[in-house]
Amino acid sequence: MKRINVTIVNYNVGNYASLSYSLKALGFNVRVSSEHSALVDSDIVILPGVGAFSSAMQELERLDLVGSLKDLASNKHPIIGICLGMQLLTECSYEHQHTIGLGIIPGEFVSFENSRLHIGWNTLEGINSEKNIDSNKSYYFNHSYVYKGPSKYQICTTTHLEKFASIIRNENTIGLQFHPEKSQKSGKELLQKIINEACVA
Amino acid sequence: MRLVLLKKRIIGTVIIKNGWAVQSFGYNRYLPLGKPECVVENLDRWGADEILILSIDRSSNRLGPDFSLLEKLASLQLETPLIYGGGISTIEEGVKVIGLGADRICVDSLLHDNFNIVRKLSERLGRQAIIGVMPVMANNGIIKWLNYRNKSSLPLKDGMLDNYTKTVSELLLIDFLNEGSKDGFNNKILEDFIDVDLSLILFGGLSDGPKIKKLLANKMVSAIAIGNFLNYKEHSIQNFKREYSRSNIRDSYYKERYSLLNDK
Repeated sequence: MKRINVTIVNYNVGNYASLSYSLKALGFNVRVSSEHSALVDSDIVILPGVGAFSSAMQELERLDLVGSLKDLASNKHPIIGICLGMQLLTECSYEHQHTIGLGIIPGEFVSFENSRLHIGWNTLEGINSEKNIDSNKSYYFNHSYVYKGPSKYQICTTTHLEKFASIIRNENTIGLQFHPEKSQKSGKELLQKIINEACVA
Repeated sequence: MRLVLLKKRIIGTVIIKNGWAVQSFGYNRYLPLGKPECVVENLDRWGADEILILSIDRSSNRLGPDFSLLEKLASLQLETPLIYGGGISTIEEGVKVIGLGADRICVDSLLHDNFNIVRKLSERLGRQAIIGVMPVMANNGIIKWLNYRNKSSLPLKDGMLDNYTKTVSELLLIDFLNEGSKDGFNNKILEDFIDVDLSLILFGGLSDGPKIKKLLANKMVSAIAIGNFLNYKEHSIQNFKREYSRSNIRDSYYKERYSLLNDK
């Protein structure tokens, strides 16, 4: 069976090693790159990220990746955004100041009520088409901003002070608010399932 | 009433001195454990909720963060969130520590030396990535904060902690006097932090028993960090989780692969 080729977007924001090792352990071919050709040649692109939204968008612009990612999405090339990567996929964020995002998934990111944080292990509840998500499994979250957008793009929710979307999707672009590569067995299994399904679709 | 689904965490802690993992007693005596990567891999395999690395001599020796250790840990294919503390004194260092695989960073000396850099790190990495470390002691009803480099301690000033609420995500309170002593954690330390609008991670003399259960039930406490008392016992983390399974912590987990023991 042909191995799926994954390209992790390298835009100098966050850590690629953990994600890269996790994906290789799952049997995927993995490349880390900021070249447009490497993104296009892959079966699926992953946009990771740890840090602030505005700094990350500046890096994407500096590396000329904004147009590349939008083109990929409009051509229905599978893309997964993880944590900050998920946030960048949307229209904007209000972290520190209003910053425009990639606009691939309608919606925006706002702070938790009373500027709270969501750090630790929490569960997912599938909605819409994802009712078979196991709500007993926990995944590692580490964020302070949450998605606000049309419910049609929300696949799973999580509850912390309020219910918010922890997985969002627009066609072949998926955003995961938690870190599957740091969620031990449950995270690896879910990441493998999502990648396999995205590449078959 | 809001439903609480976010789990409290058991953090496996590795103290590192001179590049070796050590058991630490009161920030004063140390016994060698071995290579840090072996201890870390055990914690990953046992399903710790987070792994905390504290390189305790990096700031006092002006060595900066232990980047080579982080590179070694990156090759272990860890699946557990990693927190690193030790020697971070600039924004670039903090960003590089995250780039090498840490998910969050701890700052202690920097809180004393240059709080503005902590603030800028928080803007750059997100407040959720920054933990403020406070080695403290309770003495005659007064909580004092230890500057471990010059061994001086100062009382907590009014308003001191207010600065942190917008800059760090959690406070790691270390009962440094009772660190390493079985069931030694002094609960009185919490009294001065009741009004602080930050979640607390507790460390130092937390070994077992009803004390941990009671601390986990405290709404201010988001995690318990355990160091010495996880060593020399197989499946320590799983045993802790079984004992405190009613304390809103994640279930025990057993990993099937351990890279350092595989034949290559």
